[in-house]
Amino acid sequence: MRDVSMGQYYPASSPVHRADPRFKLIILILYLVTVFFCDSFFSFGFMTLFVLITILLSRVPILKVLKSLRLIIIILVFTTLLMMIFYSDTTSAPLAEWGIFHIYLNGIYAAIKLGWRLMLLVLMPTVLTLTSTPTELCDGLESLLSPLKVLHLPVHELALIMSIALRLIPSLIEETDKIVNAQRARGAAFESRNPFKKIKAMIPVLIPLFVSSFRRADELADAMDSRCYRGAKGRTRMKKLKAKFSDFVALLFWCAITVCILFLNYNWLGWAFITALSL
Amino acid sequence: MIEVKNLSFVYSPKTPFTTQALFDINLSIETGDFFGIIGSTGAGKSTLVSHFNALTKIQKNSGAVIVDEIDLSAKKIDLKKLRAKVGMVFQYPEHQLFADTVLKDIMFGPKNLGINNAEAEQRARDAIALVGLDCAEIAERSPFELSGGQKRRVALAGVIAMHPEILVLDEPTAGLDPKGKREIMDLILRIKADCPTVVMISHNMDEIAEYCNKIAVLRRGRVMGVFSPRELFGSEELLESCGVELPLVTELAVKLNGLGVAVDKSVLTENELFEEIKKAVGVKNA
Ligand SMILES: Nc1ncnc2c1ncn2[C@@H]1O[C@H](COP(=O)(O)OP(=O)(O)OP(=O)(O)O)[C@@H](O)[C@H]1O
Ligand SMILES: [Mg+2]
Repeated sequence: MRDVSMGQYYPASSPVHRADPRFKLIILILYLVTVFFCDSFFSFGFMTLFVLITILLSRVPILKVLKSLRLIIIILVFTTLLMMIFYSDTTSAPLAEWGIFHIYLNGIYAAIKLGWRLMLLVLMPTVLTLTSTPTELCDGLESLLSPLKVLHLPVHELALIMSIALRLIPSLIEETDKIVNAQRARGAAFESRNPFKKIKAMIPVLIPLFVSSFRRADELADAMDSRCYRGAKGRTRMKKLKAKFSDFVALLFWCAITVCILFLNYNWLGWAFITALSL
Repeated sequence: MIEVKNLSFVYSPKTPFTTQALFDINLSIETGDFFGIIGSTGAGKSTLVSHFNALTKIQKNSGAVIVDEIDLSAKKIDLKKLRAKVGMVFQYPEHQLFADTVLKDIMFGPKNLGINNAEAEQRARDAIALVGLDCAEIAERSPFELSGGQKRRVALAGVIAMHPEILVLDEPTAGLDPKGKREIMDLILRIKADCPTVVMISHNMDEIAEYCNKIAVLRRGRVMGVFSPRELFGSEELLESCGVELPLVTELAVKLNGLGVAVDKSVLTENELFEEIKKAVGVKNA
């Protein structure tokens, strides 16, 4: 139950955990963009190295991070296979042919790169959610989006809705648990294999759940009213996000990596060793 | 008869959030017992009783619970039979009401046991009467428009209508006013005539002292012992070591005794105290 309430958060004391969530979010976006610029095996390897370093720094067991790949493994295998058999290359002879399917060497390379890219795209967001609590992310997002207030976007209210939702998810799960147990104790057929019976068994859970959610919402609204909550205006925070020197260093570091990847990709200065690595 | 042998339980095992809620629990609840379970918040009382009708599965190599020959640590349990046997009333049971009429809500349990409509309705009407509500007036009303106390009775009736042989109550009087508390306790005594074994979790020592014949004290997931009320509330060392408070009645008697009034310190119920005070001030029974 509690693991859900914390998202996938894995508590540990590490520089990655302590980093400012705003910087983590910015770095994540920068990283995702950079991954799309990776083109050669060398650049993929280069990115993977830094992902691994980040994971090691975060002190989250590496298996825990790799578990996130479990969810996309089917997509990963499937797209990679499709890429391999449908890739067409007119400049070289296919390695193997089978009806309409042709396998080219370049096709294999492209398929491996695709799979690798997908893995890189999934790993870093996982590291982010493993090392920051949902609340931190929410605060970070609010702070990052606050310039949009100029456009009269209700950033604070959106963030409030998000954090209330996050706060109430565990309560909702707990409540569901309790009601399910209570109805099971009254013999409700959750264990039944018949799907119709199963759906019917949900009604005695959903109704009390709605009732208690509305009650909870009412109570929360009253509690906020009675504490004179009036929205964002003039509101200060108890926990202010503070950027540290190390956060800037990390950001600069990732900027440097982006520049490296761009160089590897475009080779503006025409360096020969980059051409050599461009497979 | 419920037998708990070397039962342990861990919440969220193998995660950073694991908490061991129960450590090596041994208990034996016999038919006819009014069995009290006490202990401070988080002691593991609710976790323990949720094992009694297999709402919580016994974990591997974590002991056994046997309810009238049904071994709950077995792979396959006859859940229907078990749940007909053990009725469970949770804390704030009124939050589980769902049907559009009181009658239908109470019939939910019996019908799940495979009892036909007519019989289920009969049971529901009997249960409404047993919990002291007016069947004619209340049966067709929505459970959501009842008062808190009425809702709780309806929820209790929903369990009673399943005709359990063992009734497990998790803080049945929590959040009620003193009169409501008394009524619910009287009601439970009435139920006990048909359902011989009652297990009750409570934070109210007066209820525990007055109604229970055996009391298990839980502390941080361990059983500190099973006592009779007189044993437990009569021994200062036990109270101290188990971290249990005296019932208000007994505390009053102890205070009076300390002031030199000749009352017995070990009284457990209001009636006993009343008799003691009468004796002390010399009022003869009229
Ligand atoms: N769903 C859960 N997930 C994780 N831990 C839990 C869960 N439910 C209970 N616990 C933990 O197990 C321990 C025992 O909880 P339990 O609910 O059995 O206590 P209790 O004696 O019934 O307390 P109370 O008097 O407050 O009802 C507590 O430390 C609690 O934090
Ligand atoms: Mg409890």
